[in-house]
Amino acid sequence: MPVSLLQMRAIRKSFGGVEVLKGVDFDVRSGEVHALCGENGAGKTTLMNIIAGVHSPDAGEIVFGGSSFARFPSAHAAQRAGISIVFQERSLFGPLTVAENIFAGRQPVTAWGMINRRQLHTNAQAMLKEVAPDVAVDATVGDLSPAQQQMVEIAKALSLDARVVIFDEPTAALTGAETARLFAVIRQLRARGVGVVYISHRLEEIFTLADRVTVLKDGAWRGTVPVPETNTDDLIRRMVGRDVEKLQASAKDSFGRVLFDVKNLSDADTKGAHAALLKNVSFHACAGEIVGFAGLAGAGRTEMALALFGVRPRGSGEVTLDGQRVTIRSPADAIAAGLGYVSEDRKESGLFLDMSVQRNISAARLERFGKWIFRDGEESAVAQEFREKLRVACRDVDQDTGHLSGGNQQKVLIARWLLVNPRVLIVDEPTRGVDVGAKAEVHQLLRDFARQGHAVVIISSELPEILTVSDRIYVMRAGQITGELRRTEASEETVMRLAAGGSD
Amino acid sequence: MQMNSPTPLPDQQSTISNQQSSIKPRRRLTLSRELGLLLLLILIVILFRVLFPTSWNYFATFDNFSSVVRNMAFEGILALGMMLMLVGGTFDLSVGATASMVGVVTGWLMKKAGWPVPVAVTAGLALAAFSGFINGFVVAKVRVNALITTLGTMGIFSGIALLVGGPGITFLPPEFSRLGQAQFLGLQAPVWLMIALGAVGHYCLAHTRFFRQFYYVGSNPKAAFLSGLNVERLQIFSFTLMGLLAGLAGIVYAARVATASSTVGVGKELGAITACILGGASLQGGRGTAWGALLGVLFVALIQNMLLIKQVRPEWQGIILGLVLVFAVAVDAILNRKQGR
Repeated sequence: MPVSLLQMRAIRKSFGGVEVLKGVDFDVRSGEVHALCGENGAGKTTLMNIIAGVHSPDAGEIVFGGSSFARFPSAHAAQRAGISIVFQERSLFGPLTVAENIFAGRQPVTAWGMINRRQLHTNAQAMLKEVAPDVAVDATVGDLSPAQQQMVEIAKALSLDARVVIFDEPTAALTGAETARLFAVIRQLRARGVGVVYISHRLEEIFTLADRVTVLKDGAWRGTVPVPETNTDDLIRRMVGRDVEKLQASAKDSFGRVLFDVKNLSDADTKGAHAALLKNVSFHACAGEIVGFAGLAGAGRTEMALALFGVRPRGSGEVTLDGQRVTIRSPADAIAAGLGYVSEDRKESGLFLDMSVQRNISAARLERFGKWIFRDGEESAVAQEFREKLRVACRDVDQDTGHLSGGNQQKVLIARWLLVNPRVLIVDEPTRGVDVGAKAEVHQLLRDFARQGHAVVIISSELPEILTVSDRIYVMRAGQITGELRRTEASEETVMRLAAGGSD
Repeated sequence: MQMNSPTPLPDQQSTISNQQSSIKPRRRLTLSRELGLLLLLILIVILFRVLFPTSWNYFATFDNFSSVVRNMAFEGILALGMMLMLVGGTFDLSVGATASMVGVVTGWLMKKAGWPVPVAVTAGLALAAFSGFINGFVVAKVRVNALITTLGTMGIFSGIALLVGGPGITFLPPEFSRLGQAQFLGLQAPVWLMIALGAVGHYCLAHTRFFRQFYYVGSNPKAAFLSGLNVERLQIFSFTLMGLLAGLAGIVYAARVATASSTVGVGKELGAITACILGGASLQGGRGTAWGALLGVLFVALIQNMLLIKQVRPEWQGIILGLVLVFAVAVDAILNRKQGR
């Protein structure tokens, strides 16, 4: 009889008046891998944060180690109780070494209370050997690649000797070999009787690794089934539920003139903040076309966009926009030349969160509202137009953008660039953190924009999105373009093969 | 990699946007920092009247008021420049030293080198702008942290002030001091200058496209850069303007008292920053108005005045002012947090 390690019953949680978890049940048994899947915003990470003691639920109970209680008083308490979580976002200390990170707060000490360096080294070595044999114990974490950092995170979670280990999208930045090693580690944990929770979008992984799978949709529980009793279609149906408007596939096979032509874009051979990554990237985009860029994290797509937009010191290459050679050394140059860029991280480098919707929309085209005296009234009217056209849900255009939901924030950012009306628009992860409904709206916006005779370049890590929206797809890997596919010849497998190299 | 932040808000709102647009927009309940400070000030003045009726008679005279604003002009001009800095997300610790240095150099040029007053003043202002430019260049182009840069120039400028001016340059030419002491409607020229700069500054910050850019830079410099704003050039401009205003403050002060003091600016930079924060600026940038800066200076000046009238020991002034600053900012933070900002 499988032992139930952890049970969560009827968990409810709201943030700022919005209900994120609506009475969810979840349990973990010893010696199992229990997968958790659902769309962005379904509540997976919130649920895990509650288990890990980071948040406390508004209602419901948690049964762990024989006793039932309302919440874990703190993340530390959860950790001590034997629950360990490998977060999607890094929680490592950059300037410290690997060993120091793994045992942060729990370093082995000598009798005098000083850190026992040799013991620290040995213990860390033991943990790392299983997970990441190629990482040195005294390497500075900040110097490691994102994938290696992830392995250190995993080693840290393992070292806690937990009864329940939670992995939140652990393979996003890993290669095939690293993923295989991770799976081996997870299987070992399972054999030891640990309960493993595995959150992932990648359904193939769930079918490879998990024993049971739970689906969440919009904060509600949508079923827990043994993996052998379900399949991809069933899971997807539970995850998405309603019929999302399938974007009308553009019947066009040929498009207008070449609007954007990039030849041999390469990074200069420099050391420093920007390691040389791009190598002879060449592509083109036609008027009316949406060109997608697929690839795994670290493939260089955002770096390419930043190089084109004048942010990244450019090495060599030719860029032609609507027949004219352009030299772009700053975003201002790029905008003047007719290029736009919707940045990858809207909160960090896109939006002005403490400024109003109206001011966010006008940010890249202030001169339109007056060279000297600023016409606030006109700015407001234009913002209202966009608000209606894009269906941005906000009290009024005077509201601070920081208060809007992710999808609406993204719409505001896109509105800014629609106002600029560039001939070529690059959008980077345009629907990250955006719910299914808004996602479809954003896709339609891009499609309409392209149809007006512009070229759109979309960078996305969501394969379904790339496949739905793009007319042509370029795949990048390690700073180079590994392939170009027409929509008709593209599928998740063909793209993945080009993206992952198929070698590891 | 898909993003799953620890606190996701499901974007349900986009699907009910049609219902939202029919809801009447609620009046924003947050008190603007400026209004809040004004109310607090009025409250304090009323308390003073109620608690100390005899002292009130000294306080509530035009002479007293005139003296308060006269003494306020120096810091007022500094605060106006500092407000622009804070809006743009940075600050300048060298302003006090710049004021002293420029005042002293101008005085030296007039007194010891015998230059005609207008020429000396122009030269002084040029020096002021140049010192600001140096700050701006080092911070924006060389990319040295503003704190460290201006701390360094603060030392350099105060050193130059002492070198050139010694203990001070007295008995400046009467053509000069006449300007500083001229009166209009009972208030001295420096006060009117401050008010004029305040009005111009407010208009520029609130209604011109050029100065609007500073709010963007202060709110999110990366996003501003990606939106095509020339962040470096704007930063250099604000430092240069700050230097110019600091120098102007120093010159105006020297004209008022007919003496160029080499230490007039000591400590004044912190006072200016304090006043701006009281008046609504944020150390993070992206917030603040010109009137707010002057209101902040007025607030501090009036409290100091009340303490003076009550003959409170000067040692207590620092303590009380510090407490007032923390109180005012804390109240604002609490109010804003309640609004879910």
